[in-house]
Amino acid sequence: MGPLIEFRHVCKTYQMGDTLIRAANDISMKIERGEFVAIVGQSGSGKSTCMNIIGCLDVPTSGTYLLDGQDVGQMNKNQLAAIRNKMLGFIFQQYNLLPKLTLLENVEVPLMYAGVPKAERRERAKVALELVGLGDKLRHKPMQLSGGQQQRVSIARALAGEPAVILADEPTGALDSRTGREVLAMLQELHAAGNTVVLITHDNSIAVQAQRIIRLEDGRVIYDGDASAPEAVVTPNQAGKGMGVK
Amino acid sequence: MSLLETFQLALKNILGSKMRTFLTMLGIIIGVCAVIVIVGLGNGMQGYIESQFEDMGTDSLTVMIVGRGSSRSVSEEQMYEMVEENSDLLKQISPTVAMVGILKIGSDSITTTTMTGVSEDYFSMKGYEVVQGRGLQYTDMENRQRVCVIGQYLNMAYFGGNAVGQPLKIGGNTFTIVGVMDQQSSELEEGGTDDCVYLPYTTASRLNYTGTISSYTITVQDKDRVTEAKTLVESELYAIFEDDDAYTVTSMAEMLDTMNEMVNVIIYVLAAIAAISLVVGGIGIMNIMLVSVTERTREIGIRKALGARESVIMRQFVIEAATTSSLGGILGILLGYGLSSVATVVIARIMPDTPITVSPSLLAVVVAFGVSTGIGIVFGYIPAKKAANLNPIDALHYD
Repeated sequence: MGPLIEFRHVCKTYQMGDTLIRAANDISMKIERGEFVAIVGQSGSGKSTCMNIIGCLDVPTSGTYLLDGQDVGQMNKNQLAAIRNKMLGFIFQQYNLLPKLTLLENVEVPLMYAGVPKAERRERAKVALELVGLGDKLRHKPMQLSGGQQQRVSIARALAGEPAVILADEPTGALDSRTGREVLAMLQELHAAGNTVVLITHDNSIAVQAQRIIRLEDGRVIYDGDASAPEAVVTPNQAGKGMGVK
Repeated sequence: MSLLETFQLALKNILGSKMRTFLTMLGIIIGVCAVIVIVGLGNGMQGYIESQFEDMGTDSLTVMIVGRGSSRSVSEEQMYEMVEENSDLLKQISPTVAMVGILKIGSDSITTTTMTGVSEDYFSMKGYEVVQGRGLQYTDMENRQRVCVIGQYLNMAYFGGNAVGQPLKIGGNTFTIVGVMDQQSSELEEGGTDDCVYLPYTTASRLNYTGTISSYTITVQDKDRVTEAKTLVESELYAIFEDDDAYTVTSMAEMLDTMNEMVNVIIYVLAAIAAISLVVGGIGIMNIMLVSVTERTREIGIRKALGARESVIMRQFVIEAATTSSLGGILGILLGYGLSSVATVVIARIMPDTPITVSPSLLAVVVAFGVSTGIGIVFGYIPAKKAANLNPIDALHYD
């Protein structure tokens, strides 16, 4: 069995007026099943582009992205929608819950698009919400919850579909440090339970919670390795200036 | 995601903002309501015209002998024979001779009265009842009796309800009133259907100095075969005259059809004008749906990220538009029925003589509902397409 996520010379370019922006410039990497990887970089480093491609929200301009051995670049929009639904669990910075739906209904959304029958859907959503400790608030609306609770709902939503990859985009960005730590602890639990977790962040202190760090700068991978290694959290130009961890 | 679930979701979204939904639907409501009331009014008018013609007898043919272009003529006997020989289609015949001359009752000269010479069968053909005295009889025809049956109007206005046995004068000849007809119309009025005198056709034709009788009324056995009967009479007359300018045969049923067609044209034109409101309503729906798509950009982004296919998003918005417009259609139908009842009452108040019942037809209701739903689908398509085509990455970061 090959790696779960594999980038082979992935490039992504955007035309902005007259200038061509290389958001991803020849990125190659592999992420195996069960890994907890943080993709780190400053804004403009290409991490959002990476996240969009991993999340099958976008396809590479050139190069190949294999998700569980399938070439995503060759897929049409419907196939992309299906693979997002089946393989990926998104956790967003802004939670992105649907405000008019109850927590239960929110968690049901990906299952609904997967065609899971209503009764089973309800049951699985309930189990997922209980898992994140919100089993007593099934009928609440997102706005009645704190930020941390809302993020837990979005984790439940990501889990409910039993995806191959949990993709968390700045999951603590909108939270205070204490609830942020809770969310991170939850991600670590998920990893411990055997899930593959990919965390996208600009924050080194968050990134070190992962097992492995992939650091991006200007659309290139500048570090890929153990999260505990000192180089993982220091960008080369910062190292020269003697700046430490943020 | 099943169609039912999509529908439930649409209903939830629609009912989530009631005021906006109502205003969006208003164009459709007004359009559907207007179409239903107008079609209902048309039905009422047709019903009224039909009942009026019914009084005149839609089961009868009127034969006019002109005699022009041919030296031949047709006798009463030939006409009677024709009816007898074709008794499968034709029922009864009566000559009708319009009487000329001035009607005088006592010292009053009356010009409004219709005076007609008819046979003894005429009353039964037309379904007229004699309520006082007797009707015209065969012996009256044979002997050219100067007797007559008068309408209820003359009876009440000039004889105080006791006309039988009283005299009246037509063109200087004295007639004895032998019977009074039952009241025909709802109100007795000068020049109305009850302002009439019937006398033996033989007497009328003698006093008119007309040699041959030029007008007949023929009733048919079966109302639905009027056209067939008309063709038969025409071909019989052609056999005699060998010239189709020499006679005309008209049927009330055909005239009724012509009238109905005219009313239909008017109704269709009016309904088409009302339908413009439906189009305007559809544009209103499109407008609101476009706003809604923009407002819900983020929701669409989330749904797409979570695996909604474009077709599912598309369906969701189209069904939402269609549900909005068909809800509008249902409200329009209800309002249309309500207004129809009101219109019926108002018409009865304003014009008591022409009681038109505004009755919306089931077809109009079905079509109105179908069209309003269709409008939702058509005008929901563009906004739905816009929603479906949103890029999930952009949509997720939309504020």
